[in-house]
Amino acid sequence: MSVDLSTPEAAPPRGVSTLRLQVRRFAANRLAMASVVVLTLIVLACFFGPYAFPFTGEDADFDFISAPAELSWPHLFGTDEYGRDLLVRVLEGGQVSLTIGFLGALAAGGIGVIYGAVAGYAGGRVDGLMMRLVEILYGFPYVILVILLSLLLGGGNMALFAAIVFTLWLTPAVIVRAQAQSLARKEFVEAARAGGMTGSRIVLQHIVPNCISVVIVYGSLLVPEVILSESFLSFLGIGIKEPQASWGNLISSGTSAMDSDLRLLLLPGTMLAIVLLCLNFIADGLRDAFDPNDR
Amino acid sequence: MLRFIGKRLWHGGLTLAALVTLTFFVMRLAPGGPFSRNRKISPEVQANIEAAFHLDEPLWQQFGRFVWGVLRLDLGPSTRHRDYSVNDLIASGLPYSLTIGFWAIVIAALVGVAFGLAGALRRNSATDYLAGTIGVVGIAVPIFVIGPLAQAFFSLRLEWLPVGGITEGWRSLVLPILVLALPNIAYISRITRTSMIETLRENHVRTARAKGVGWRRVLTSHVLTGALLPVIAYLGPATAAVITGSILIETVFAVPGIGRHFVDAALNRDYPLVMGITLLYGSLLILFNIATDVVRAILDPRIRHER
Amino acid sequence: MTPMTAEPLLSLQDLTVRFRLPAGETVAVDGVSLDLAPGEVLGIVGESGSGKSQILYALMGLLASNGRAGGRALFQGQDLLSLTEAQLDRVRGQAVSMIFQDPMTSLNPYMRVVDQLAEGLVVHKGMSWASARAEGVRMLDRVRIPDAARRARLYPHEFSGGMRQRVMIAMALLARPRLLLADEPTTALDVTIQAQVLDLMAELGRETGAAIVLVTHDLGVVARLCDRVAVLYGGRVMEEGAAEALFDAPAHPYTRGLLAAMPRLETTLTPRLGTIPGTPRSGGAMLAGCPFAPRCEARFDRCTHERPALHPLRSQGPGRRAACHLSEPAT
Repeated sequence: MSVDLSTPEAAPPRGVSTLRLQVRRFAANRLAMASVVVLTLIVLACFFGPYAFPFTGEDADFDFISAPAELSWPHLFGTDEYGRDLLVRVLEGGQVSLTIGFLGALAAGGIGVIYGAVAGYAGGRVDGLMMRLVEILYGFPYVILVILLSLLLGGGNMALFAAIVFTLWLTPAVIVRAQAQSLARKEFVEAARAGGMTGSRIVLQHIVPNCISVVIVYGSLLVPEVILSESFLSFLGIGIKEPQASWGNLISSGTSAMDSDLRLLLLPGTMLAIVLLCLNFIADGLRDAFDPNDR
Repeated sequence: MLRFIGKRLWHGGLTLAALVTLTFFVMRLAPGGPFSRNRKISPEVQANIEAAFHLDEPLWQQFGRFVWGVLRLDLGPSTRHRDYSVNDLIASGLPYSLTIGFWAIVIAALVGVAFGLAGALRRNSATDYLAGTIGVVGIAVPIFVIGPLAQAFFSLRLEWLPVGGITEGWRSLVLPILVLALPNIAYISRITRTSMIETLRENHVRTARAKGVGWRRVLTSHVLTGALLPVIAYLGPATAAVITGSILIETVFAVPGIGRHFVDAALNRDYPLVMGITLLYGSLLILFNIATDVVRAILDPRIRHER
Repeated sequence: MTPMTAEPLLSLQDLTVRFRLPAGETVAVDGVSLDLAPGEVLGIVGESGSGKSQILYALMGLLASNGRAGGRALFQGQDLLSLTEAQLDRVRGQAVSMIFQDPMTSLNPYMRVVDQLAEGLVVHKGMSWASARAEGVRMLDRVRIPDAARRARLYPHEFSGGMRQRVMIAMALLARPRLLLADEPTTALDVTIQAQVLDLMAELGRETGAAIVLVTHDLGVVARLCDRVAVLYGGRVMEEGAAEALFDAPAHPYTRGLLAAMPRLETTLTPRLGTIPGTPRSGGAMLAGCPFAPRCEARFDRCTHERPALHPLRSQGPGRRAACHLSEPAT
């Protein structure tokens, strides 16, 4: 009798209820749920809010230069020294920051998961080599690496994105590798191997899916890290450049106009802080829900 | 123990070599060069200048020249700051960066550990909530937002401290140090609190209490070592965080340290200065990581006995 | 050393342990009264969650922070439950010592074994570290750790599980306690060395004249070492008596179930061991009736309404008691 090992083994009934339990635990965490709501609102505002205004963040309105924040139409939070609408610029900057944040976390997490799963499953010399590379990259000062890479790739949004992803996949790789290492010794992986399943299929069908909860927890911590990296590089003038807005460069120009007008700094700074706060609370909530022993 | 340190130094040296080599070639491969922005000069003049900095030589030869320079502790002339050598620039900027970084780490470690311990021993007390709030703010609000806000409030509004620069001695350094310490206070107090709570639950602490040697002795001889190990392990990453932070701090507070130099040098393709600061940052980070490992090995025999 | 008197060394009077949980309060130990004579070895038997370990933690003042002990626990006439932490420290590690369940985690991994041994002597007896260490090495030798002088300078992770438990025994007996509390001291060890370690503990207990309270779920261990046994279920004493008498004629259906579930040499021909249906009750709100009633095969109406009191079993000699309506003397 031949057993069809290529189908992923049927999820034990406990698996389903575990996931449901985890979701319920997360939903019971009021701080995390409130953060989800606030974050959703901010995402919606950033992506749809600008359509409510008859101009874009790059249009200069010469009738309103450095207009104050009086909550009066059309420039609710006033304009900057070029007459560009501050609120719309902050929302548009949010599009950039949030997109880079989520895509970057996804990409860095993806690379880390594959790399860690392969290393952990392969073990032996392959694992040793792969982890030595990670160790060396870990020894590098993060700023130097990210600045150099974005310069190498010629600046611009894609270069920035690639540089951030390249510097942030290390932690998920290490974590997934540890998980994969213990999974590789589990009976069902042994069984799959004994049944003639190829290494790459075992990694994709058994190792990776079983690392999911670890990945979700640490992946959720990556999002604020990526957003922070993006805004800090843009703040230094290495990342996203004017006239395109991002929270980092808005804060930077807000800083230079600080002595005359604090709101140029406060509006983007507050948005960034709220988003980072929400993401951190969500990550904490996920960790508590998926890994209750960790408290 | 000596073998342990020797092995770590050897690995650290390899990492440093890899970092420097990578940086060297990445810098050269990145588009643009030290003099390419200056379109006013004629091609001949530009060729002359480049020859003066040996930029016309093949890459491997330039690399060899750099390595030879490093071995003689001579990092060459800066391409942007004419008449200054990289050694001069680092010597002038390093004291500020080191002072700020050192005090930021010391303050972060002392305040962070104190908050973490207090929070763990008196859970849900006022101190615990205060530490938790500082933790959340320190982690979620980046330095480059807190810094300008601190300037706006303490310097422009209250006029207690200078906005930036280094002209007023220690008064100039108070805000940079505190702002740089804040996120690390947050991380350290979080780590301390968690590990303290975990250690207090450990079986061997219960054994110590059962011995009746007194709560104070239980804390000092049986709890603190275990509880502080993760904090010590964080000091390596903390150094990296302080390096990153100091670049931002020096930009925000206009401190002429090496962090600001590094960003300017990278943007202006000042190859020798980038290489010099990379070497410095890399060595600093690696030495701190090794020191951290050594201290952990001294405190934890299980680490010491791994090979 | 201590003259045998009628005065018990330890007297638990209506001891209760409660835990505050998010879901409400749960009762782990529910009115346990037991006496222990000097030098006596008492076994407390029960399934996991029966509250047996919590009795020991309550005596040592080591309950988890959400736990509260009630009733009285008189040790040499002094109520341990009413002592402050500082007063307890004059008893713990001196007159009363404890051995814990998991030797792998119960020793301080950052401290040399000899220093962990010597610490108590230095603090309590004001000995110098040098002489306390020498004393510690002597004790390690007595628990038959080979090459004790050299090994004393090692760290716990360099010892095997069985050796670590010997270290724990040495540490507990170093101060020559009057009472030794042992919480499942061998469950975490290999079966092959369990007996060695237990015999060592009992032997040293006899030599030093310490009374022992041995908490275990293993009836074999009890039969081997204990003078007297108390069977615990749902935080209450179900049955109590001299070990031999109790094993010969168990009065409570729960004890009978436990004995039937125990493998014995003479029953190897029986294909399967007995089982007790249902899941053990662990803590919970106060019950009106007998805690074992839901699983009891001999249950009748009264069992679910009325809590059976622990009453003497006169026909079985002194000290035999049970809490079952079936064995209650007719009134």
